[in-house]
Amino acid sequence: MSQPEDKDPLDVLLREQQTYVEDDGFTTRVLAALPPRRRTWLRPILLLGATAIGSALSIRWLPWENLSSLDVSALLSLNSQVLLPWLLVISVAASLAWAVIAAVQWED
Amino acid sequence: MSFTDADLIARVLSREDQLAFAELVRRYQSPVRAFLARLVRGDTHLADDLAQETFLKAWRKLHTYRGTARFSTWLFGIAFNEFRTVARQRKELALEDVEEGSSTETVQSAPDSRSDLRLDLTEALKQLNSNERAAVVLCCQNGLSHEEAAHVLNCPLGTVKTNVLRGKEKLKRRLPGYQHYESA
Repeated sequence: MSQPEDKDPLDVLLREQQTYVEDDGFTTRVLAALPPRRRTWLRPILLLGATAIGSALSIRWLPWENLSSLDVSALLSLNSQVLLPWLLVISVAASLAWAVIAAVQWED
Repeated sequence: MSFTDADLIARVLSREDQLAFAELVRRYQSPVRAFLARLVRGDTHLADDLAQETFLKAWRKLHTYRGTARFSTWLFGIAFNEFRTVARQRKELALEDVEEGSSTETVQSAPDSRSDLRLDLTEALKQLNSNERAAVVLCCQNGLSHEEAAHVLNCPLGTVKTNVLRGKEKLKRRLPGYQHYESA
């Protein structure tokens, strides 16, 4: 990569001339002139919408008839017939909760 | 905590973060405005207008920045294009040299001090044609390599080298006190 000559006294003189230009409100003026931002609410709305549809479909196909009442003995038995339906319900509820939190806390 | 240019650019692109963009403007406003002020021969109001347009264009076109060149180099490229657009419309900014000796601002006598020499240099820079001026300012003042300057000015590497060389020769000729400074 070719570099300009550094030993030339003229280069030294030119470089000495390069002084810092104070901002003096320039950045503020640039920001004020920026075009309006795109609709930032669209993404959280899409996220919530997709989650709602996904949850509705999951709820529709959840094995509600197989849900038995949860008690300690059923949990301890580690019976997949009892635990699996509940695991599905908890997963759907958790993903729904996560989506709501993500949408609410969406950073602009 | 200090963010790198790449971090700030990523934030602007992913969430239109105006604070991140403000930080980029703060970082580069000085070299961009100084570069444009040189190109428009010291008209700081015009330079600031062009600089503002440069940053607005950077905001709109940021997704086209590939990161292969330094961000400042990319900005200088936009700034130079802005200057060229205006120069096409305004005769006084045209590319031609100011004839040697035709300007009343040309200093005819040797300067008394180093600060006088700097003032003379400012005036002498104004008399270069804009291609030479841009090449000299980018390479000799802003420390860009010839390759980077060629990228900014969108011209062959050889042209940049020639313009730097020619520009500097003209500056030396037009600076009466330069011989004393060089030998000092």
